[in-house]
Amino acid sequence: MKWLPTFTSRLYGFFSKQRIERDLDSEVQSHLDMLIAENIRRGMTPEAARHAAKREFGGVEQTKEECREQRGLPLLDGWLQDVRFAVRMLGKRPGLTFVAVLTLAIGMGANTAIFTAVHSVLLQSLPFPKADRLAIVWSVLGTEGRAPAAGPELETLRQRSRLFEDLGAIWAQSGALTGEGEPEQVRLGMVTANFLGILGTNPQLGRFFEKVEQGSGAPRVMIISDGLWHRRFAADPRWIGQTVRLNGQPVTIVGVMPPGFRIIFPEGSSVPPEMDAYVPFRSNLASSPADQSYLRVIGRLRDGVTIAQAQQEMDTLAGQIRAEYNTFADPPLTLQVVPLQGDVVRDIRPALLALFGGAGLVLLIACVNVANLLLVRANERTLEMALRTALGAGRGRLIRQLLTESVLVSCCGAVAALSFGWFALRLVLAMQPKEMERFSAIQMNPPVFAFTFAVAIVAGVLFGLAPAFGARKLDLARSLKDTRHMGTPSGRRQRNLLVISEVALGFVLLIGAGLMLRTFVRLLQVNPGFDATHVLTFRVSVASVKYHTNDAAVQFFRKLKEHLSQLPGVEAAGVISHLPFDDTLPNWYGFYWREGASNHEQNTTMADFRSSLPGYFKSMDVTFVSGRDFDDHDVAENLHLAVIDDTVAQEAWPGQEAVGKLINIENGDFVRDTAQVIGVVKHLQYHTLTNQVRGQIYLLYPQAIRAHMAVTLKSSANTQTLLPLIRQQVATLDKDLPIYHVQAMTDYVESARRQTRFVTLLASIMGGIALLLACIGIYAVTMYSVLQRMREIGVRTALGAAPRQLFALVLRQSMLPIALGLLAGLVLSLLLTPLLSSLLFGVRPTDIPTFGAGALILSTAGLIACLLPARRATRVDPMIALRYE
Amino acid sequence: MAPPRGEVLQGTLDLIVLKTLEALGPLHGYGIAQRIQQVSEDLLRLNQGTLYPALLRLELRGWISSKWGSSENNRKAKYYSLTRTGRKQLLAETESWERMTALMTRLLGGAEGA
Repeated sequence: MKWLPTFTSRLYGFFSKQRIERDLDSEVQSHLDMLIAENIRRGMTPEAARHAAKREFGGVEQTKEECREQRGLPLLDGWLQDVRFAVRMLGKRPGLTFVAVLTLAIGMGANTAIFTAVHSVLLQSLPFPKADRLAIVWSVLGTEGRAPAAGPELETLRQRSRLFEDLGAIWAQSGALTGEGEPEQVRLGMVTANFLGILGTNPQLGRFFEKVEQGSGAPRVMIISDGLWHRRFAADPRWIGQTVRLNGQPVTIVGVMPPGFRIIFPEGSSVPPEMDAYVPFRSNLASSPADQSYLRVIGRLRDGVTIAQAQQEMDTLAGQIRAEYNTFADPPLTLQVVPLQGDVVRDIRPALLALFGGAGLVLLIACVNVANLLLVRANERTLEMALRTALGAGRGRLIRQLLTESVLVSCCGAVAALSFGWFALRLVLAMQPKEMERFSAIQMNPPVFAFTFAVAIVAGVLFGLAPAFGARKLDLARSLKDTRHMGTPSGRRQRNLLVISEVALGFVLLIGAGLMLRTFVRLLQVNPGFDATHVLTFRVSVASVKYHTNDAAVQFFRKLKEHLSQLPGVEAAGVISHLPFDDTLPNWYGFYWREGASNHEQNTTMADFRSSLPGYFKSMDVTFVSGRDFDDHDVAENLHLAVIDDTVAQEAWPGQEAVGKLINIENGDFVRDTAQVIGVVKHLQYHTLTNQVRGQIYLLYPQAIRAHMAVTLKSSANTQTLLPLIRQQVATLDKDLPIYHVQAMTDYVESARRQTRFVTLLASIMGGIALLLACIGIYAVTMYSVLQRMREIGVRTALGAAPRQLFALVLRQSMLPIALGLLAGLVLSLLLTPLLSSLLFGVRPTDIPTFGAGALILSTAGLIACLLPARRATRVDPMIALRYE
Repeated sequence: MAPPRGEVLQGTLDLIVLKTLEALGPLHGYGIAQRIQQVSEDLLRLNQGTLYPALLRLELRGWISSKWGSSENNRKAKYYSLTRTGRKQLLAETESWERMTALMTRLLGGAEGA
């Protein structure tokens, strides 16, 4: 610890500079006085004595400077001096400083906003204790790569796994909460008793479920969300232990989850993040049918166990399950373990990373522009630098000074970028796709601030290097002599290099934005299989006791549809269990096979099941390939009928007419039944616009009663006039039944394009900024080089060069770096765009029209940026130019 | 022209100052300079100013301490005195110096003999 006292007194010296200076002054003076006195005593005149004393003492200032260097913190001292000087230099050119700071603020602001999203979504761990230990186990069965598990499957895994601390599962349902006020539809998480414990977030009140509370005959208990507790139970803790009615049955509330608690499962897993309540399964999972797959399985790995090890164990267990259960033998069951975090972000990661990369490119272009500004500035300061060198400043010292200036500029830019980024983040969040909405807290926080300033420092060094290297190559004698020094050829080469890199980077961004734009247009052109225009949709749920007989529910929806079709302007009305692109309710899908299929053909292919009443296809303008829709007679007779889509028809009866054939389907919750195919419709895109996920089988509502149904109304009347009439019609049938989720079908379709729209819009904004910055950069460089060559141009004019020739000369010389930049950008784009391919649809990463348009736009913009400087060259008055200095 | 003078070896000035303070007790910069010239009989001439960075260095290391006082002629002057660690340091440096000179003498003497 020897350095400590030295350091503390140095620190002291750094801060009490004035007092110490005075001290040193008087000490030196006292020494000199004594020397003088001694000299006088020896008989010198006072004048001679003083001179002699100074000679004996040596350089007074040198001594003091040496002392100063010993004391205090010379590095920090020098640096502070640099900063003070930099502030003065920047203050001298407020315009230039402002432009530089603004340019950087735009570049870094974009980065700050995107990084905030990247940080919250991709980098931060999920809001569960030791979230990195959580893993999802998907079943792979036949064509289904990410299927849920069946009861016996989960029980086997739980009992035999050694590497998982515990495994549990959830199944999202909905239920009706009655008694004590208005009946309410709640999102219900059916869970294994250990599920919430596996996630690890403790309830804010009460307790987790206990083991005995799961299974048939167990006491009915419920844990509710903070939201429901506030909404329905006035946040009163005395409700713990009280009984409420869920789906007509009494259940006891045993716990309340903390505010902000969400189930973060991957998009498409049919587990929505917001649940109102959780209840344990009431069936015995171990003995439940093996062909009923509905459990979304999550597990907590033991400490130190890797995903690969867990996967190995699951492979072994899958083998045992295949051996023990016929259902899982053919098609063979395999299991896949994926980390929860990675699985949750797998859809959004490519989009966010692409945008992050784009923001990085924008920043690079901004840096190039600022480097150009500083380069011009450095040229103006050649004399200053030469003088400093002559006075003994080393090259390192000069570079340090210049870097201090550029880092100071970029730190100012960072401060501006934080506020700019805040607005940009609002924009990002306003458009965020569903995949990002699962993450509740996307906000700027200390790591984001740290990131912005780290970027600022790196950027400052980056764009400060160009002028600093200029300073390194200073030719002292020439610079000092040549006071009208206006940039060397090497400076021009440097500036051309800046233009080349700017154009190249801008080209990459334009291509990225262009490819996304093309993708988006392609998405707009996708025919989802139905016509969403003028279709109004809303939901009605008949979960209350009143509708406990199937007939009551059927009668209600039949009458509702009939009444609604008679409203003015309504062309067709339909009732369906699942709307396309609507994921508020869990999807309903399961295995189907043609009647008479052999054992190993069963359980191989899944379809989405939908329950409907006649009229749905007409209201959505779905094309019939063959056969017909259900009709009222079918409903009245309660016939076992099905309408299938062309995908199912092709899978089950390739090359044959499907109408009239018998199909084995799942009827209601896991009840198998046989239905006759009466019609084949075109496939509808239900999940995404781009991928065909599964075929669809439509069942007749009386055969597949569901509590939650959606109504589709094709109508020329607008929503405002229609809505009161709809409410009135519903009220005449049942005044207690609310309608909800009133939404135009076009909005659902729009939601399917949200991620692409999000990326496209942000990429276009970045492309636009890049184009603008590149133009500004090209303009600045060209104009500067014209101004530099005033003399030369003047001479040329005097010697008879026509304005047209001069114009062409400037254009030719400035278009050359642009052309080179385009070439470099082309190569760069070809390397980078394949990274985008997962975001693209209907367009190849090397799409020739996009590349052509990008090159055309950029070269046109570059040309326009050069026009003004070129015109300036033609207007040079030789007399003025020759005198121009 | 000034007569040729012996260069002050790097590090020796510190030793000289410490030794001077040990011999004479608390002393100001001028006094130290005078003493060095007196002892070295003008063989070792130094710019007296260079003493001050050395004094500061020693003080920062905690080997000497300083206090303002007044000189015999009633002049305000800063007095330096040896601290306890300074005394230890002096002992250590003297030893290593002696070892060094002994080594140098042997080396140079050996070179002459060859």
